[in-house]
Amino acid sequence: MPARPHPNLHTSKLRSEFLLSLAILGALAMVPLLVQSNYWLGVLIVSMYFAMMACGWNLLAGYAGQFSLAPAAFAMLGGYSTGLLAYHLDAPLWIGLPMSIIMPGLVGLVLGRIVLRLSGAYLALTTLSFAEIIRLVIYNSIDFTRGDQGLNVPALYDGRIGNYYIFLGVLTLIVGLIYWLLRLPLGRFLQAIRDDEIGAASRGIDVLRYKTIAFIISCAICGFAGGLYGTFARLVSPELGLIAQTGLVIAMVVIGGMGTLAGPLIGAMLVYTASEFLRDVGGIQMIVFAALVIIFARFFREGLWGLLRRVAVRRAASKGTP
Amino acid sequence: MLALDLFVNGLIIGLYYALMAVGLAMIFGILKIVNFAHGEFYMIGAYTYTLIALGLGVPPWLALPAAALAGALIGWATERWLMRPLYTGYGSWGLMKDEYAVVVTFGLSLLLINLFDKVIGPYPMRGPALWDAPRLSIGPFMMSGQKLITAAVAIILMVSLALFIKRSLWGRQIQAVAQNRLGASIAGIDTARASSIVFMASGVLAAIAGALLAPVINPAPDVGIFPAVKSYVIVVIGGMGSIPGSIIAALLLGVLESFGAVYLSYDYRDTYGLVLLILILLLRPQGLFGERAREV
Repeated sequence: MPARPHPNLHTSKLRSEFLLSLAILGALAMVPLLVQSNYWLGVLIVSMYFAMMACGWNLLAGYAGQFSLAPAAFAMLGGYSTGLLAYHLDAPLWIGLPMSIIMPGLVGLVLGRIVLRLSGAYLALTTLSFAEIIRLVIYNSIDFTRGDQGLNVPALYDGRIGNYYIFLGVLTLIVGLIYWLLRLPLGRFLQAIRDDEIGAASRGIDVLRYKTIAFIISCAICGFAGGLYGTFARLVSPELGLIAQTGLVIAMVVIGGMGTLAGPLIGAMLVYTASEFLRDVGGIQMIVFAALVIIFARFFREGLWGLLRRVAVRRAASKGTP
Repeated sequence: MLALDLFVNGLIIGLYYALMAVGLAMIFGILKIVNFAHGEFYMIGAYTYTLIALGLGVPPWLALPAAALAGALIGWATERWLMRPLYTGYGSWGLMKDEYAVVVTFGLSLLLINLFDKVIGPYPMRGPALWDAPRLSIGPFMMSGQKLITAAVAIILMVSLALFIKRSLWGRQIQAVAQNRLGASIAGIDTARASSIVFMASGVLAAIAGALLAPVINPAPDVGIFPAVKSYVIVVIGGMGSIPGSIIAALLLGVLESFGAVYLSYDYRDTYGLVLLILILLLRPQGLFGERAREV
C-alpha cells in the first residue's frame, strides 16, 4: 500500500471544501427534477456562468492575492473569439470553443508578463483600463464586430435541460481543476506569494512565473465561461464586459468567501438568484450587493463560508471535544 | 496652423485629466492605495452642479462651490469610514491592505453608481454652461468660452494646490506622512488628519472637474467610469504617487489623443492611452517621474 501523504491543515481544509463544493454541485444536478420552469433553469444557467468566472477570479485574487478587475472583460474576449470565428470564417464550435480558452489565455500571458513584474495596485489599474478600452474597441469596430448589435453564435445544444447539464459539467470540471492545482506545489506557492511576496521570493519561489501562471489560468477560465455563455445565449455583445459584470463577480466571491474553494460557488448561486428577486422589488439588486461587498470586506473577511465555519467550530467546541 | 490648434486643445483636455489624476496620485502617495471610486467623486460633482443650478435656479458660478463642497464631503466620508481601518487599530492589516483597498473602493464605486441610478434616474441631464459665450478667437485660436474658463479654473486650482502642499503647515505635514507615516507620527503629526485632508482635496478636484465638464458630458450615473480609467492610465504613466508626474502625463495624454484623433483614427482615440501605458510598463515601469520602489 503506498504511503499516504502526511495530512496537514492545508490539504485537509482543501479536501473538506472540495467535498462541500461537490455536494453543492450534486444538489444543482438534482434541481431539474424539481424545477421544470424554463425561466428558473435559465437563471441557474446564468448563475453557473457567473460561478465559473467567480472560481477563476478567486484562484487569482483569493489564492494568489493578485487583483484583476477584468474577469468580465476576459469572458467577453472569449465570447468574441468564438463569435468572430463563426461569423467571419464559419468555423464550427469544436474550433471556436477551444479558441475561447486559448485567446484569453494568450492575452493573459502577454499582459501578465508585462504587468506582474510590478506588485501592488498595478494589476488592478491596468486590467481595469484594459477592460474598459477593449470594450470600447469592440463597440467601435462596427465593420469587424458589428458593434453593439453583437454577433450571433451557433448553439452548442438546443434546449434548456441539455444546456443546464453542459454548464454544470463544465463548472464541475473547473472546480476539480482548481482543486487539483491547489494540491500541487503551485497552490502553496501562490498562497505564499499572497501572504508575503518578498518572503516567497527569498525562499526561491519564482514569483513572476507563478503569478503569471495563475493569471493565465484565471483568464482562460473566464474566457471559456464567456465562450460557453455565447453558445447558450446565441449572442455575444460588448455588454458582457461591462464593469458592472465584473462587480457582480467580485461581489459573489467576497460575499461567498474569498480564498476558499466553496465560497465562490455559494456566493454565485446566492447572489444571482437573490438578484432575480431583488429586481422585482424595484431594481435595487446592485445597491444591496455593493453595500454587502463593503460590509463583508470591512467586517467579515472570510465571507459566508467563513461565518458558517466559525459557527460550526463553536458548536463543536461547546459539545466538548477532547 | 492645424497642428498648433490641436496642441492647444490637447493641452486643455490634458488639464481636465490632470484635475482628476492629481487627486488619485495624492491618495496613492499618502496611503499607497488606489481609490477605485475616484470616478464617482467626479460624477457627484457633475450632478451636484447640475441639480443645484437647474433645480434651485442659482447662477452656475454659485453652483460650482456647492459641487466642491459635495466632493469634499464624499472624500471625507470615504476616508473616515472606509479607509481609516487601514491604519488604525489592526496590526495585521498590513498583509491584507491591497485586498481591502481594492475591494472596498470598487464596492463603493458600484454602490454610488447604482444609488444615483436609482435615486436620480439613469437618464443623462444637461448641465448649464458657466459662460455661454459663443466661439471666440484669441490670437490664432478658436475656442468656446466654457473651455477657456475650465482651463483657467484648472490652472488656478493646481497652482493653489502646489502652493498649499509646498508652503502651508498642513501641506508640509502631508509631505512628511507621504514620506514616512511612522516617522511623521513620531514627530507629532496627526497622520489621520493628513489623510483626511488629502481625501477631501482629491474629492474637491474631481468634483470640480465633473462640474466644469457638466455641460459637455451630460451627467449620468456611469459618467465617471471613463475619466477614472484615463486617470488610472495617467498615474501609472506619470509614476505612482508623483504629483508633477501625473500633471505632465495628463498633458501628454491630452495632446497625444488630440493629435491621434485627427491623424490616426477618431474611433480609436481612447486606445492611445492604453498603448502608451503598456509601452511605459515595458520600458520604464516606475513611470516617467516615479522613483524605483524601495522596500525597507
